[in-house]
This record gives sequence, C-alpha cells and structure tokens, in this order.
Amino acid sequence: MGFRVNIEGQENISLGTESVISVTFRTDIPKDSNARSTDLGSTVEIKGKILTAVDGEPFDSTRQMGLWSLVPAEKSDCYRKVTLEVVAASQIIRKYTFPNAFVIDYTESYGDEEGVGTFVLVCKQKKDKISSITVDGGYSA
Amino acid sequence: MGLRLTVEGSENISLGITNIIDVAFGSDIPKDSNARSTDLGSTLMIKGKILAAVGGEEADDTKKLAAWSLVPAENSDCYRNVKVDVISASQVVRQVTFPNAFIVGYEEDFSDDTGVGTFTLLLKQKKDKISSLKFEGGFGQE
Repeated sequence: MGFRVNIEGQENISLGTESVISVTFRTDIPKDSNARSTDLGSTVEIKGKILTAVDGEPFDSTRQMGLWSLVPAEKSDCYRKVTLEVVAASQIIRKYTFPNAFVIDYTESYGDEEGVGTFVLVCKQKKDKISSITVDGGYSA
Repeated sequence: MGLRLTVEGSENISLGITNIIDVAFGSDIPKDSNARSTDLGSTLMIKGKILAAVGGEEADDTKKLAAWSLVPAENSDCYRNVKVDVISASQVVRQVTFPNAFIVGYEEDFSDDTGVGTFTLLLKQKKDKISSLKFEGGFGQE
C-alpha cells in the first residue's frame, strides 16, 4: 500500500509513497458513554521517513512539518488542511480530508545506525469542525 | 547518520559522531486539546556513549554534561544554547537549536560487561522562549 499526504496552509507540504510508512485514522469517542455522545473527536497519526537528498535534488518537506508543530495558537496558520490518500492496486482505498487540522504531537528521531530519520505526526481536527471531515474512497486512482 | 551535539554556556561541550547514538526531537503539546493550544513545549532527547580516553588523549566532554545537570536554577548558567546536527551524505538534514535549554533528565549507566558507558540527556527549551527555537536543515555541510 502506498500513502500520500498533503498539507495545505501558507505553504504546501507534500509527502509521497517513498516517505510515508503508516497512517492511522481514529475517532475519539468517550469510552464511558451510556448513549451516543456528542463529544466526538478525530485524530490522524502519520509515521514516515526523513530522507536525505542526494544528487542535488530538493529536500523532502518533513522540516516544514516540524515548523508547523511550533506555530503558536495565535496564528491562523496553526490550522491547516490535511489530505491523506491510501492507494493500492491503482485504487484509492481511502481519502481522508481534515480541513482544520492542528498538531498535537510531532517527534523526529535519528540514530547512528540508520540511514534515515523517522517522524511521527499526530493531528486532530478542530473539535467544533468535526462535521467537515470527509472520508472518500473506492475509486480508481 | 552522524549526530553532533554542541552546548554553549559558561563552558563549551562538544560531542561528535563517535559519541552520540540517538537523538529525538519531540513536542510537548497537551494531548487532550480540542483546538490548538497556547501551551506549547519542546524537548530534545540525546543518547550517547561515554568513551574512555586511550593513548593519552583528552577525556570526552560527557563529564561536563553531568556537571551541567547539577547547576541550580538560581545560577543563570543552567540555561545554555544547545545545537544538534544530523548529518547524512554530506548534507545537514536537521539543525535544531534550543537557545535557552535546561536539563530535565540526566542519567549515566555503566556495567561490567560493556566497554563504554551510556548517557541519556533530556532537555527542554524554556517555555516562554519557544519562539526562539530554530528548526533548520536541508543544506550542504559547511
């Protein structure tokens, strides 16, 4: 399976199948509710590689994600549009769109034994805008 | 990948690719927030080897890290400028600078079946100075 991640804001961050390792989509609903709760949330977790540019090609846009994680809440740029595509056998299995996503966790790790670094980005959709999340899929790429 | 740590304060600490094993940059954002929080923090975890000096060369700077971790909060020297470089294929993949870093965790481990000790250093940027944190990279090595 391949994953494509697009983050649109003041700048565009685009990560392709060569860098994204895994994607998790999760709905946060209170586990102790006795009936359907109105307190719904949605989280997406993206794990990937931080690649080194060789042969003078441009660097991947993982650094921009790190900068996004540092944008203070006072700036409107802290909310961005995140699009995730899961592609397999020329089919778009899923396409998630989070129009007002913000970062709740960003980690980068590097080791002296690996040739690439790893990042983990965890985003949530702004809670009052949950209804604008779209989940599409099941069509050819 | 090669990892390098530079600390500037009342004394300079410099640890190179022979010492550093792992580096992790992390963010400290409340996980239960419904919208973007103003309560942002940033952490840096560094793991490395404590090497024994042989052939009469100087001991590495890890001792100075231990001394830094013991500096009391009353002393301005507890905040230091920390720079971490991640180098791969003659490119600086990341250069993270915490201008006002302080230690929240420092540990050294030694055992009788290893030739080197290990240290784990956990740093945070002073929370009111988060905006001065630098997150650079993607350029050729100087």
